[in-house]
Amino acid sequence: MAYSEKVIDHYSEPRNVGSLDKSDLNVGTGLVGAPECGDVMKLQIQVDPETKEIVDAKFKTFGCGSAIASSSLATEWVKGKSIDEAMSIQNTEIVEELSLPPVKIHCSVLAEDAIKAAISDYKSRNEN
Amino acid sequence: MAFDQPACHTCESTLVSRLFCFSCNALQPFPREMDFFEVLGFPVSFEIKSSELEERYQELSLELHPDFYGLAPEAEKLLSETASAILNTAYKTLREPTLRASYLLHLQATKQKLDERSLPEGFLAEMFFLQEELDELLGSGNAVDLSAMREDMQNRKKDIEADYAPLFKKHEEQPEDSGILQQLQTHLNAERYLRRLLERIPAAD
Repeated sequence: MAYSEKVIDHYSEPRNVGSLDKSDLNVGTGLVGAPECGDVMKLQIQVDPETKEIVDAKFKTFGCGSAIASSSLATEWVKGKSIDEAMSIQNTEIVEELSLPPVKIHCSVLAEDAIKAAISDYKSRNEN
Repeated sequence: MAFDQPACHTCESTLVSRLFCFSCNALQPFPREMDFFEVLGFPVSFEIKSSELEERYQELSLELHPDFYGLAPEAEKLLSETASAILNTAYKTLREPTLRASYLLHLQATKQKLDERSLPEGFLAEMFFLQEELDELLGSGNAVDLSAMREDMQNRKKDIEADYAPLFKKHEEQPEDSGILQQLQTHLNAERYLRRLLERIPAAD
């Protein structure tokens, strides 16, 4: 399988691999999986309580190069965005940016789901 | 697509396999849509005796082999090649329990939309934790713990596989209960993650 240069770049030098403190109220954690291939993806966001802007993001993905690249890109993209802006990130944008082939489109869907899951987790823990 | 025992197009005997007549040794012109059970001549059911499947496969494999159609007309040669390819795919699918279960579920889940992402509660979090643990074990090269994890995961996989037959049987007995097929889907989903984990653990020497 030929990976695009950008996928190879993200795979060999992934941005933002790591963890944030799950118990921190300003952190949202999304854990998603793709049963068709057994990929597991964790994406976390750190939200500034005042501005509601995402100031940091981390990920850890067990899966193929495209899955890793998709989640790496997702963490790059959410940083500096408001929660609403991050919510509107579409998997198709990830596909385009990474030139993902049809058989790997589900990796981008997983990354979009991970972002939404992290935001959803943050919101549910901050319902005042 | 139901296999209502069609007859051989040459001698009209009842066909066992949709591809070939054992009575007169004639290749059959087969429809585009066949299920793998009718290809190998078994009822559509999860339970298949592997020795019988093996035997039937060997018989058909021999009869359909393109080598034996060397002097046959072009159309028949092509038919034997196509039939052999279909036979191999059908056999590979039916002989492996998870592939067979997945295939049969796909055939039977016609009246309901299955949730294809369903997993047992807490399963995904557990898989993530195990993957991280595996990273550490692989890094430290701890052969004993790696072997223990491998055995653990294999046992869990076997437990899941052991559930296929009873669940399919239950579905046959209670086809109105839509929860049974969904349980099978959940099992198959879980099995996939376990398999991915196992693929990362090096085999015992």
